[in-house]
Amino acid sequence: MNTPDINSLRATTRRQFFSRCGMGLGSIALASLLGDNLFAADAPKLANPFAPKAPHFPARAKNIIYLFMAGGPSQLELFDYKPKLVELNGQPIPQSFIEGKRFAFMSSSHGTKLLGTRRTFKQHGQSGAWVSDLFPHTAGIVDDISLVHSCQATLFNHAPAKLFMNTGSGQFGRPSMGAWVTYGLGSESQDLPGFVVLQSGSRGPRGGAVNWGSGFLPTTHQGVPFRSGGDPILDLSSPKGISTTKQRQTIDAIRDLNLARLVETGDPEITTRISAYEMAYRMQSSAPELIDLSGESEATLKLYGVEKDKPSFARNCLLARRLVERGVRFVQLYHTNWDSHGGPGENLQGDFEKVCRDVDQGQAALVKDLKARGLLKDTLVVWGGEFGRTPMGENRDTTGRNHHIDAFTMWFAGGGVKAGQVLGKTDELGFNSVQDPAHVHDIHATILHLLGLDHKKLTFRFQGRDFRLTDVHGELVKKLFA
Amino acid sequence: MSIRSPQRLSRALALLGALALTAPLSAAVDYLREVKPLLAEHCYKCHGASQQKGDLRVDTAAFAQKGGENGVGFKPGQSSTSLLMQAVRGTHDTISQMPYKKPPLSEAQMTLLAKWIDEGASAPADEKPETTKHWAFVLPVRPEIPKLVNQKAPTTNPIDAFILARLEKEKISTAPEADRATLLRRLNLDLIGLPPTPEEVDAFANDQRADAYERVVEQLLASPHYGERWGRWWLDAARYADSNGYSIDAPRQIWKYRDWVVAALNRDLPFDQFTIWQLAGDLIETNSLPPRTSALEPLIATGFNRNTQVNQEGGIDPEQFRVESVMDRVNTFSTVFLGLTVACAQCHDHKFDPISQKEYYQLYAFFNSTIEDGHGKGVPSGVLEIPGEVESPEAIQKELTETRDELERYLDTKGSAVTKWEQELTEDQRTKLRANVKAAMKPAWSERTLAQKRAVYAAFKPNDGEFKSRNTRLTELEKGTPKRVTTLVMRELPQPRESHLFIKGDFTRPSDKVQPGALSAMHALQGSASNRLDLARWTVDPANPLTARVIVNRVWQQYFGRGLVETENDFGTQGSLPTHPELLDWLATEFRQPNADTPWSFKNLHRLIVTSATYRQSSRVRPELATVDPLNKLRARQTRLRLDAEVIRDSALFTSGLLSPKLGGPPVYPPQPDGVMTLGQSKREWKASTGEDRHRRALYTHFWRATPHPALAVFDAPDGFSACTRRLRSNTPLQALTLLNDQQFYEFAESFAVRVMKSPAKNDDERIAQAFRLCLSRSPNQVEQTRLQQLLAQQLAQEKGDESTRRREAWKTMARVLLNLDETITRE
Repeated sequence: MNTPDINSLRATTRRQFFSRCGMGLGSIALASLLGDNLFAADAPKLANPFAPKAPHFPARAKNIIYLFMAGGPSQLELFDYKPKLVELNGQPIPQSFIEGKRFAFMSSSHGTKLLGTRRTFKQHGQSGAWVSDLFPHTAGIVDDISLVHSCQATLFNHAPAKLFMNTGSGQFGRPSMGAWVTYGLGSESQDLPGFVVLQSGSRGPRGGAVNWGSGFLPTTHQGVPFRSGGDPILDLSSPKGISTTKQRQTIDAIRDLNLARLVETGDPEITTRISAYEMAYRMQSSAPELIDLSGESEATLKLYGVEKDKPSFARNCLLARRLVERGVRFVQLYHTNWDSHGGPGENLQGDFEKVCRDVDQGQAALVKDLKARGLLKDTLVVWGGEFGRTPMGENRDTTGRNHHIDAFTMWFAGGGVKAGQVLGKTDELGFNSVQDPAHVHDIHATILHLLGLDHKKLTFRFQGRDFRLTDVHGELVKKLFA
Repeated sequence: MSIRSPQRLSRALALLGALALTAPLSAAVDYLREVKPLLAEHCYKCHGASQQKGDLRVDTAAFAQKGGENGVGFKPGQSSTSLLMQAVRGTHDTISQMPYKKPPLSEAQMTLLAKWIDEGASAPADEKPETTKHWAFVLPVRPEIPKLVNQKAPTTNPIDAFILARLEKEKISTAPEADRATLLRRLNLDLIGLPPTPEEVDAFANDQRADAYERVVEQLLASPHYGERWGRWWLDAARYADSNGYSIDAPRQIWKYRDWVVAALNRDLPFDQFTIWQLAGDLIETNSLPPRTSALEPLIATGFNRNTQVNQEGGIDPEQFRVESVMDRVNTFSTVFLGLTVACAQCHDHKFDPISQKEYYQLYAFFNSTIEDGHGKGVPSGVLEIPGEVESPEAIQKELTETRDELERYLDTKGSAVTKWEQELTEDQRTKLRANVKAAMKPAWSERTLAQKRAVYAAFKPNDGEFKSRNTRLTELEKGTPKRVTTLVMRELPQPRESHLFIKGDFTRPSDKVQPGALSAMHALQGSASNRLDLARWTVDPANPLTARVIVNRVWQQYFGRGLVETENDFGTQGSLPTHPELLDWLATEFRQPNADTPWSFKNLHRLIVTSATYRQSSRVRPELATVDPLNKLRARQTRLRLDAEVIRDSALFTSGLLSPKLGGPPVYPPQPDGVMTLGQSKREWKASTGEDRHRRALYTHFWRATPHPALAVFDAPDGFSACTRRLRSNTPLQALTLLNDQQFYEFAESFAVRVMKSPAKNDDERIAQAFRLCLSRSPNQVEQTRLQQLLAQQLAQEKGDESTRRREAWKTMARVLLNLDETITRE
């Protein structure tokens, strides 16, 4: 392709480049481009908008996988065992507990009678953590995780609470944790976005894309939602009938013409544009490779419980491992529906059992698999919903539980987290956190800390104020650290 | 003491030096030289001219002595018992140590203060209090237009004089004027959001008249597309969307407001009325309207404040979200019209600006007396039916057909019953039937028309509910009395709601009752101060120091990429200072009250800016200014700006010859990738529009807050959750994927290729140049032409099939390349 014509053009372009743009805008990379590689098919090595950045202090975890249990799982059916509640089943809750509190559905179905769990709890592992019969696989990893029973939130309706858990605010327009993290740390992956979102379950999480939005941060940092079927990223496939060769030739021509314009205008945005097209091209092959599980062993697929071509939470867990293996900084999985008011589709019997089965094997497999591959030490795994459920029953078609923000359970594993620990206590009814309360802001501060970020220093100036994920709050949950 | 700047360091050293020398010698403390600077540095911010926390100011010795709400500051000669020293030393029971939440004064500084008091606190008798008010709170006065040293510098209007005066000071020359093709493309993209045609470029290039440029500007300002382009600018601030937001995100009908904004800008409705109608159109006297204005217009305009989200989730406390809406209105009002961040004062007195928490809730009270707006599962109220306007003919036609089919299907299930009834009719009964029924009964059931079936069935079972409801609806549709178009409007309650200050912004913790009121740091509110109309008039009051500046700054920002005040939404003390304060004030006064011409005219403002020599400069980066002015704040050149999301789509549509110029109407549904709508909580259908509506301007794309159209979102279109006064311009791989692979952009490329192939060019080289001009409004240079020739040759050689297929495919690739260029999506 290097005709004499092009050679002379290249020389001209090169001269123009050096005369007009001798001003530190990735000029070394460009110079090499304008050299022998001009108009060649080699991918140029230009500035990556997700280039890794140094943390504030040495990080304990490099990547994070956040398993978001959308709808608010009942801690009282899963982890927080309360024999007293079983004993007092059906009795009214003492007034002292609920005075001055507000709940969702307060006027209609909200109950005041205590509801003891019908689940069988057993202690497991060295740590002796209680886990119910609904999570047999998860019971097998209690020595690798830290259970925190004393989590607390502020908002008790799904959409705002979910926003709060993701952005530290119930208001729309704030950046999500994943956006903050890639803003602070960039990403190790050259071929995939730094913040990826995977979804499974009966419906999308309430609030949709704002849960992984970039708020006022540059949109580069917004979560990229992979889809469970079809293209994992929107518009990832070339249009029908466009071969890889033709796509490459197209991008080559775009690059060369963009370079010519760069020479003409000297605008550094054009270098970013060129590198964005290169990343896009790499994603066209890296993302399909990512979701292609044919290279995974039968044993691995069995460990997760992944069925061929069937979208599931388990499959997303496996994808999450593959994403962090490839250097993606922040992977977030959403699974619905954990809402258990007792109405149709959300009762504490069959429906709850089903959603537990949906996640149990996959999440346990993820921790085991990460550990076996030596990835767990660098990967922080977080599990939890936007809030928990009340010790009181709620009477709809069947008895369920209402939203509860004063105490609920989350668990953490991997990078920098103490393994085999049960942290925080609730009172004998499971209503209030009575020891080591960990508010959402504290959890955010702690997660950032494990990733090597000081939550007070990770700020962005917007509308005259330095904003941070933790607003003006956040205390480290130091007992969580290994 | 924190020491950040060298000046401060030397000042601090001087102070310490002075202490070291003076203290042992016991010389008398010099108030002006030693005490006043200390107080100024550490105390004036909260206890000075702009703020008097605790009703205390210490910017004169007399004020400091007088004290504030906690009591007398000090008695001369008695430092140890003085409130001032107790506060500074942190020994008072209830007052926190001062400076509040800052490192305390050093021991030497405290000693100095105490010594001054003990020595009698002498100070000059004529000491004047500080008068410095934050610049933005001082009413702009039309400044003198600067006289330039270099008389030959290119100026077309006073804007240039202000810009050049500053550049002369910095000894920087301006950039040359951009070439004509670039200028025309810039003007078109900026004023109407579409590129020019190659013919328009040629005409302009060859127009030798002295006012050729001004003529183009006038043409573009008169174009109806001007309103579309700048309407979108305003809709960003108004947080416009076609759905309710929150989790359910049900669709809403408020596009009449969108169309009103476009129309108002097109006829250059003066900004004062534009503002009053949007804030209080429901409260104005209709006889005050300009001629030929429908009384509905100001009502529709109040949709500005109905662009709040509505939470329809079950189990919520509707009051909580009503309060959220009211707060959103306050925050939007102050961001859009005042350029102030009042939201800080929702929970506490503003830390930096003179806005108390009480004042926040005084503003809140203006917006708090509106009818409920449909939170929870209630029926939304404040819905205005537009008389004489019905839903689109297509929508009606669709419903008509569906209703007709449905009725016929229903009636056919009754066919045998009707036939039986007919056969059993007695002669007497038969004669009593109406003539049309008797006539309709003549053919057999299967031969009857729907009208005949309906007539007979109505006689057979007139009270069949299922029949009646369908039949009535069909009759209505046939008569042309179908569903009215509606839009959301503001309406005031007959009795105002009580408003309270909320402790920490929590609506469950109401505190003192508040009355509507404006900000005390600004001009006084005229009138009874009771409703939104008073607030609206206060906003456009000539004594308002902020609004005109804030608006001209945001217009300027559109043309130059950043405002004269960079923090376009914060003109408070934490915002950045204007780069050209006199220019800002000149533009503001010119906008509000020009010497000639109509006041508050947006079109005058646009004309002024785009005809300036400053605007017409080349945007080429000037390496020699890279260190002096890296961000181009001095405007010694233009700036390349990536196009807005909508303009990217519209330009591609225009280039490919597909764009429908149709103005206004209900939202449309251009194609988007499958599965986007399933990302929200409620899975909704996105049925891509066909025909003309597939190719309308992006302004008309149905905007779902929870699942915005990805081709818009990926290019930073605002989310509609809160007022957006400045768009981000991100540059991401997802944008590349959209332009390369998205179905709609591929369709554009296909049409573009066909358009180019059909063109009467002599050969492919000419065709390349032509395609390039269609896309970029200029001719390719030699490098570009060669590279595209090479690409075409490569593609033609590679494609298979007959000549026409090969050519079509090759040109499609050419079209894709051109539509993906950085320059295509950039205003240079």
